[in-house]
Amino acid sequence: MLKYLINRLFWMVPLLVGISLISFLIMHLAPGDITATEASFNPKTSEESRQKLRELYNLDKPVIVQYGLWLKRMSTLNFGHSFASHQSPVFWQETDKEGNVTKGMIQEALPITLLINVLSLILIIGLALPLGVISALTQNKLPDRSITIFVFIGFAIPSFWLALMLMYWTGVSHNWLPISGLHTLGAEKLSAFAQLLDTLKHLTLPILISGLTGLAGISLFVRNGMLDVLHQDYITTARAKGLPENTVVYKHALRNALLPLITIFGLSIPGLIGGSVIAESIFAIPGMGKLFYDAVLMRDFPVIMGILTIGSALTLIGNLLADLAYAWADPRVRKGVSQ
Amino acid sequence: MVNQPKSMMKKLNRLIGISITILLISCGQQKNDPTANLNQPYPSQSGGALVDAMSGEPSGLIAMMAGESSASAIASNIFNSLLKYDKNLELTGELAQSWDVSSDQKTITFHLKPNLKWADGHALTSDDVLFTWKTVTDDKTRSPYGADYKLVKKAEAPNPSTFKVTYEAPYAPALDSWSGLHILPKHLLQGQDINNTSFSRNPVGSHYYQLDQWKKGESITLKRNPNGTQGQAKIDRLISRIIPDRAAQFLELMADNIDSMSLNSIQYARIFPARPDLTAKIAQYKELGNSYTYLGFNLKRKPFDDVRVRQAINYAIDKQEIIDGVLLGLGLPVASPYKPGTRWSNPKLQPYPYDPQKAIALLKEAGFEDHDHDGILDKDGKPLSFEILTNQNKEREMSAVLVQRRLKEIGIDVKIRVVEWATFISRFIKTGDFNVVLLGWGLGLEPDQFNIWHSSQQAPGQFNFIGYHNTHVDQLLEAGRLELNPDKRMKIYHEFAEVLLADSPVVYLFAGYGLPAINKRVNGIDDPAPPAGIGHNSYEWYIPAPLRRNEMSAE
Amino acid sequence: MNAIIKNPLALAGLIIIGVISMMAIFAPCIAPYDPDAINVKNILLSPSSMHLMGTDGLGRDVYSRMLFGARISLLVGIVAVGIATIIGIVLGAIAGFYRGWVDTVIMRIVDIMLSIPTFFLILAVIAFLTPSIWNIMIVIGLTSWMGVTRLVRAEFMSLRNREFVLASQTLGAKDSRLIFKQLLPNSLTPIIVSSVLGIASAVLVESGLSFLGLGVQAPQASWGNILTDGKEYIEFAWWLSMFPGLAILITVMGYNLLGEGLRDALDPRTSNNK
Repeated sequence: MLKYLINRLFWMVPLLVGISLISFLIMHLAPGDITATEASFNPKTSEESRQKLRELYNLDKPVIVQYGLWLKRMSTLNFGHSFASHQSPVFWQETDKEGNVTKGMIQEALPITLLINVLSLILIIGLALPLGVISALTQNKLPDRSITIFVFIGFAIPSFWLALMLMYWTGVSHNWLPISGLHTLGAEKLSAFAQLLDTLKHLTLPILISGLTGLAGISLFVRNGMLDVLHQDYITTARAKGLPENTVVYKHALRNALLPLITIFGLSIPGLIGGSVIAESIFAIPGMGKLFYDAVLMRDFPVIMGILTIGSALTLIGNLLADLAYAWADPRVRKGVSQ
Repeated sequence: MVNQPKSMMKKLNRLIGISITILLISCGQQKNDPTANLNQPYPSQSGGALVDAMSGEPSGLIAMMAGESSASAIASNIFNSLLKYDKNLELTGELAQSWDVSSDQKTITFHLKPNLKWADGHALTSDDVLFTWKTVTDDKTRSPYGADYKLVKKAEAPNPSTFKVTYEAPYAPALDSWSGLHILPKHLLQGQDINNTSFSRNPVGSHYYQLDQWKKGESITLKRNPNGTQGQAKIDRLISRIIPDRAAQFLELMADNIDSMSLNSIQYARIFPARPDLTAKIAQYKELGNSYTYLGFNLKRKPFDDVRVRQAINYAIDKQEIIDGVLLGLGLPVASPYKPGTRWSNPKLQPYPYDPQKAIALLKEAGFEDHDHDGILDKDGKPLSFEILTNQNKEREMSAVLVQRRLKEIGIDVKIRVVEWATFISRFIKTGDFNVVLLGWGLGLEPDQFNIWHSSQQAPGQFNFIGYHNTHVDQLLEAGRLELNPDKRMKIYHEFAEVLLADSPVVYLFAGYGLPAINKRVNGIDDPAPPAGIGHNSYEWYIPAPLRRNEMSAE
Repeated sequence: MNAIIKNPLALAGLIIIGVISMMAIFAPCIAPYDPDAINVKNILLSPSSMHLMGTDGLGRDVYSRMLFGARISLLVGIVAVGIATIIGIVLGAIAGFYRGWVDTVIMRIVDIMLSIPTFFLILAVIAFLTPSIWNIMIVIGLTSWMGVTRLVRAEFMSLRNREFVLASQTLGAKDSRLIFKQLLPNSLTPIIVSSVLGIASAVLVESGLSFLGLGVQAPQASWGNILTDGKEYIEFAWWLSMFPGLAILITVMGYNLLGEGLRDALDPRTSNNK
């Protein structure tokens, strides 16, 4: 087990370098750089100032050289500063000599995205588990069919269309939920609990929209997993032994059907930090998706590389954790490996 | 087997029921008293907050460094310049109460108003102006706007209320440039690196407002500055919420969560008139826009080097149709690159009328006829076919479609390509690799158009990217820069516009109106809007107490 | 085939896809107007007998645009999935059949591709190549082959050691014959299922790209860009968003129902024949 772990960790570093190199190259495929923004197309601006900026950011050097410089900086875990908002650090906050703290861009965007994604994941699991189980237990009968249709609708509906319709219905026609943003104006004057409730209200629609797509996949997964397991011999044996249905379904079948779900958890870790660009744009949520999208359009290379590096690192770790968790959870694999 | 699903279902139903109840119980904010009459007159009074929306977040609030429109919009409420434009678009003093131009026209002396203060109480003097000038012209300052100010040979602050600049040669755009430079506080910025200073996120200015709170990614709140050099604004606070999506902005406007938004033509002309519930609480305004849209030819490529081809295309396009179709009539045709109705716009010039016959005749003269009867004009065996490039802008895309149709009718085959902005600039504009573009320029208040039309400005990255070269125009542009007398200047630019129109290096399509929609709780807005737009007296706008939004209060 | 007909949901999916494909194929015959026919006097008319689905911001008939848009959306789906499937089959077959270092290399490439966010790839490539139908198809194809590769590889690995394969090998059959005549045909099920589901996905991706301005560009009509054009008038000109929204919804559902139905029908473990 330990050897396996060390082997995987060892391979992570070259893999990360490889991924970052590919990402860097792709990024530079797109023409233009930070000096080609809409703001810079103002006849009152001078080309020489743009040229100076390019030199300052090493944008005039060959791509490989730029990559080398970036790699050198990364070796000290220095993610650099954004090209667009010059003094904003990409990752973590910095304090200047007067004690003014400038927060890092990822530092500010990540918690929001994480919150939405984690809550969304909880919602999905909370709904998908029962829906999948019911589907499996009533295979091909009405409940199964209607659940299938329901989750498919959730998957198939274009998210921004649904988002706008819900925003209109809950925010304009009726005053149930806020329409966009994270906080109500003046919310900081409220008590901590009221603020929490306010934030949750603002996040309700984004979480719903984010979760709807995953719901179909996971509930189908649970359904098929359960069906797989329910048709196994040992289930028939358990029933033949006269065990109550409850025990058969939950204690034996469900537990075994859920094993692959652990892999899904591991694989969804990188997804946790990638916010949905569409949802964040519509709901005016300053998360990782919007940060990334804006950075790509503005060719803000340090921010793009920062997000990609963290994302890939988390993906690799997530895969590793998923494999490890599966190995631990499934006694067959555990026993097999230790031999 | 049949029992399990039922109990599961019951649990699920209960869960759903509880969630819905929680959602419904925590009702929305208390909305305003619906009986308060929005249409009765109220006396001017102080207080309240105006909420609007912006699509992007400024990278900083020092306007000379941050180029985005959101940055300059907010910074303009915080900082003063020496001069400003009044409601009739004439230059007048802001920090300066008067100014003199020397007889050789090379020196301008500004006399500052007395008792000017910064928001923190410190005195505002010519030292601050001198400091600002030094900063913007410093080589180490990464500002793209330094060019105008670097033309100053000598800048002096002989006493605290006088600022004097001397230019190498008379420079007519100088006064306009001093209306665009936000004066920065020397006592706070001296010794700081302007490129990285935290002042950019926490500025101290001298205008009606000061920064109250900046919630990254969410909103920027400004509050009244008691030391404002121009007096006191009526509205207590200006809150700008960051809402990137326009559809979401419109929903917020309908739900009364924001007070102002700029509408597009369809919202203005079709949605509002059909919705009495909207027009009851939101007022619509119309003002002269700040930009014009044009079709630009690459003059270095055939056949656009032939003036007959350019004029033909000009005649072939029905501009009124574009205004009616794309802007629903909410725009004006233009015949020169200036705001219609202002002094610089030549009233004698008329846009090319829609005349497809004339277009066909001109093209025939230039050698283009449908020799092979395939419906497309050709010359020397090559068909007259090209691509119109434009960026991702709904108005421009729709205009391109209409242009394409009209040109097809006279036998020109046009394809449309929409390109993302950064790619557009670096891959096509900078390299000169395009045939025709559909873009816009600003309708500046300063008539100098040197950077766009002078033949010396054709290098990659400069703005004469269409490659225009006309010696007469060059001379006029140079003369216009040297002439400070407004009447003489006007004649120069009228002539310039005339030559430009005849040459037709671009086809002027339209200048759209600005269509702000503002909740009726905001009183004091000038309607109809003067040439400067409704915002010229935004500091006099007020929100009567009965109409103010209920703010969150600590409980 | 029987199994599909017996499964009402899969049958519904098949019918939906069939109808929409027919409408798309025969669009030029069915469409009452030219989808590009602008009429500035008819801007944003609500649905009527003259215009079944109303008109858009330039007065064009939405119904006609929807029909031609169906062609685009389906074309994008089919070509993109086609590209992804071909790449997936080739790589998956090689990896599953030959194993060894070839397998390791291919799987590492798959891992790398899965680590880079799809959206970023699409964004960068489209920004570089400028959005056009072909570029969108290629990009979606190039970013969704990983799943097929894994599937094919898994199938090949499990089939490879079956008796009928070993028997052929003993008889001296060449590798290519083994791959094409024996392994591939037996792996078809998951490939077909994945392709069908992939088409659904591609249609959704196109609409998402349109929202961001990177989808099929004007003046060509696609369901995604009709929907995006209408998003600012969602309750006023509801027809501009309702019809494409429903169309995408029904089409994607159709493909999903068919795909899942096929999976259910062809997978011996979960079928009801016990």
